[in-house]
Amino acid sequence: MIKVSQLLKTVPTADGDLTILHGVDLEIAAGTSAAIVGASGSGKSTLLGLLAGMDVASAGDVWLDGVNLSALDEDARARLRAAKVGFVFQNFQLLPALTAKENVMLPLELAGIDEAGSIAERFLGEVGLQDRLAHYPTTLSGGEQQRVAIARAFAREPAVLFADEPTGNLDTRTGERIIDLLFELNARASTTLVLVTHDERLAERCDQRFSMSAGELFGP
Amino acid sequence: MKQALTWRLLAREWRSGELGILLMALVLAVSVVVGVSSFVTRLQSALLSESARFLAADMVVVSRSPVPEAWISAAHEQQLQPTEVVGFPSMAVADIDHMALSSIKAVSLGYPLRGELLWSSEPYGEVLATGAIPGAGEVWLAPRLFSLLDVELGESIFVGEQPLRVSGAVRGEPDATTAVFGFGPRLLMNTADIPATGVIQPGSRVEYRLLLRGTPEAIASFTEWVKPQLGQGQRLDSVEGAQPSISETLDRAQGFLLLAGSLAVVLAAAAITLASRRFGERHTQYVAILKSLGAQSPEIASLYGRSLFWIGLFGTLIGCLLGWVLQEAFIRVLGSLLPVEPGAAGLKPILIGGVTAAVCLMFFAWPPLRRLGQASPLRVLRADMGIAEAQRSSDFLMGSVAIVALMWWYSGSALVTGAVIAGLCVVMGLGYMAANVLLSGSRSVGGFAGSLWRVALAGLQRRGRANALQMVIFAMAIMLMLLLSVVRTSLIGQWQAQLPPDAPNHFLMNLAPEERPELQTFFADNEILSETLYPMTRGRVISVNDAALPRWEELEEDGAPRQREANFTWSDEIPTGNALVDGEWWTADTDQPWVSLEEEFASDIGAAVGDRLSLRIGADALEVTVLNIRAVDWQSMRPNFFTVFPRKVLEAFPGMYMTSFRLLPEQKSLLNQLVGVLPTVTVIELDIVIREMRVVIDQVARALELVLGVILLAGGLVLISGVRSSLDGRLRESALLRAVGARKGMVLGALWVEFLVLGGLAGALASVGAEVAAWGLQTQVFEMSWTPTPLMWALGPTLGAVIVGALGVWSCRRVVNVPPVVILREV
Repeated sequence: MIKVSQLLKTVPTADGDLTILHGVDLEIAAGTSAAIVGASGSGKSTLLGLLAGMDVASAGDVWLDGVNLSALDEDARARLRAAKVGFVFQNFQLLPALTAKENVMLPLELAGIDEAGSIAERFLGEVGLQDRLAHYPTTLSGGEQQRVAIARAFAREPAVLFADEPTGNLDTRTGERIIDLLFELNARASTTLVLVTHDERLAERCDQRFSMSAGELFGP
Repeated sequence: MKQALTWRLLAREWRSGELGILLMALVLAVSVVVGVSSFVTRLQSALLSESARFLAADMVVVSRSPVPEAWISAAHEQQLQPTEVVGFPSMAVADIDHMALSSIKAVSLGYPLRGELLWSSEPYGEVLATGAIPGAGEVWLAPRLFSLLDVELGESIFVGEQPLRVSGAVRGEPDATTAVFGFGPRLLMNTADIPATGVIQPGSRVEYRLLLRGTPEAIASFTEWVKPQLGQGQRLDSVEGAQPSISETLDRAQGFLLLAGSLAVVLAAAAITLASRRFGERHTQYVAILKSLGAQSPEIASLYGRSLFWIGLFGTLIGCLLGWVLQEAFIRVLGSLLPVEPGAAGLKPILIGGVTAAVCLMFFAWPPLRRLGQASPLRVLRADMGIAEAQRSSDFLMGSVAIVALMWWYSGSALVTGAVIAGLCVVMGLGYMAANVLLSGSRSVGGFAGSLWRVALAGLQRRGRANALQMVIFAMAIMLMLLLSVVRTSLIGQWQAQLPPDAPNHFLMNLAPEERPELQTFFADNEILSETLYPMTRGRVISVNDAALPRWEELEEDGAPRQREANFTWSDEIPTGNALVDGEWWTADTDQPWVSLEEEFASDIGAAVGDRLSLRIGADALEVTVLNIRAVDWQSMRPNFFTVFPRKVLEAFPGMYMTSFRLLPEQKSLLNQLVGVLPTVTVIELDIVIREMRVVIDQVARALELVLGVILLAGGLVLISGVRSSLDGRLRESALLRAVGARKGMVLGALWVEFLVLGGLAGALASVGAEVAAWGLQTQVFEMSWTPTPLMWALGPTLGAVIVGALGVWSCRRVVNVPPVVILREV
């Protein structure tokens, strides 16, 4: 499902180029879950951005569902994201101007799906927010916002779901409920789940565990 | 992206209020531009009608032969209202001992087509606008003709062979200054009586005037038709040339209004740029989320492109509507002050508003939104990513070109545009230099200062680039406001100086030398203020360098050198208010045969410094050399002369004296006594003309103040937009400061210092730019002298600091009233 070979990422800084990823290799099979753990600044979010086709590598290749992302331009990668990728972010990344339901509808509408409204309602029901449809993000708690984000990610029934520190902004109990929800939906939809976290307990629940340190990937 | 989705996103954006800010800026821009330009257009037509009073018509065909019947028919066909006036000098005779050379004006029904004919039942009696003209067989006489001819109301006089009954005194004609017909006192009669007088013979010096009134379109179309048919001795007189001082006032007022309109365009563009930048910055994250969900760049561009299109459409419509309300409010405010019903504004202001909106959206709002399409989706993972800076300089260049083009189109004047742009360039150039120097230096100063200053100056420096831009925009807005205020003040000041309240309002001529003590006694007894007595003798220029000049009636083409008759005077010194253009002035006791000429007079007779003139004064001849050429301020109400000689050259010739004096309205009846005491003097009443000029100037000044008010409002809104554009960063930092325990006083104090420094610097820059632009406008556009405005140098930085400081702190006041966590969550 996901294959990475010799992935290199450097960024220019005032003191010359800084290498963030040092030739990373990685393979994640379809329908499985993988955790990438590491300390802050180890490069795991950069890797996630490259895996999801939101950034371009300096060298090396990323294959997502058999497509080499390095060969695609930004718009082609966006089409691929629209078709196959879902996201859950640490900061939820809901659009503040849209209600919970509208936020969930957005990727469906972008993909041109007609019944966006009813699908959004169904998924919000699955995450337990059936009575929060018309609420705006600022009126929801952190946990509720993350549940909206999960509903949004699964509503498109993506092949791959990327989650970046999904519990990072939540307290332990809420975080646990969110993780249960994530894995439950993942199991039901057979989605490939790639999770970036520094929470070892969360990583342990995944099929594979990679660790990242100073731009190098170790494991599983 | 599907159309329906675009609509939904647009609707949601609208609901969030973000689009509202952009829409408001656009509505402001369009309404100010449409409002000011409609008002200017309507005012122009009103003022044009006002100045039409000085022509008694909208246009006049002037001819030395009777105006062809076909032209009068054509005027009727073009829906123009015509009336004929015939003017000529002739003797008015009461009896063998009482006759006077008069300037005769025969008018027909309908006269005057603009303005009013003023009449009184006795020579200097109460002035009335009767709406009538002398009937057939009647005459109205200028007051002094009553004493010259020794006639009373109801008695008869002769013009040629025709007896005419005196039925009143003519006290004011709207076109008195444009239709002169010789130097004698006015005699107004009916054209129906002309044939019976028998005074008009072949070769007589007669001026035929066909007065026309109608819509500007009809006038334009008639002008186009008649112009190719104009023959020798025929010309068209239009409103523009009717009354030089009024026309100059109107020209300058028009220049000012167009300048104001252009400034409105610049301010509008600035407001839109600021609003759009803020919109763009606030939407980068939004776009990143959309992109992470799979939206592609063209879809993003299409989303914002459509949004902009609809904002543009609604903004323009609402702006046009508000602009109309604005100009209607102006007209209402001016209301009774306007002499005539203001004309229709037409569609041009709407067009200007639409084009302004389109240009502003395309060149100022679109670039930041277009860049949104380039926002990286990676921002969803890394919120600290910068915003694409690419192509900003090319956007700026294109925008600048667009704004210059728009200003040029709007003002129709390269000079106005150039002066304002020069000022703006100075502001921008100095602004960036000052910003770099001061903002980079501010931190080292802050290092020694207390924590409040340290926080404030660190803030200034941290947002150095944004602050520099913000400062330049503040400076531009303040500069435009200062500039308009300065130009308005100097224009109005100059107009008022032109007609000081104690200006002489009567001229007295034909005073015999031996009558001087009598006049001075009369003035002293009645407490009348007068100027000194000027000697005056009448003479004619016959030839220049021995080349004989043709007489007026022999002239083959208009404008060619010809004989000129003028009042000659002598003076030891250059007359007050005159300026030497060429040559030098003589010493007081010279007996050299020299002459000083007024520049237009010199051009009329085709003479320059060093030329020899042959003159005739009565039966005597005089040869003189032109020593200098003078510029004369004809707008001053002082006696002015075309030709001035050294005392010893002219003293020997018999001459009369003239002076000017000021009469209060309640002293008017003294004129009857005066002409009783000194029956041969000529009194020219200028009080009515002066009063009318004052009315026009007051109206124009009031209009300028209204427009200035609107521009100040627009400038204020730009300042608010400017403050808002940096609000998020400042709110976030202030909230953080509060979160780590900073007291309310410190946070507010730091904001005060930051905005005061920004505003003060911007004000200082604005003063420099406004001075540069004011110099350009005053010397090049308004043809006035330039003097520096020290007050502005003090006022600019002070006002800048106070206004920007207060606006800034007011906009950020929430940060100390609302818990920091709420602010942090929002921004």
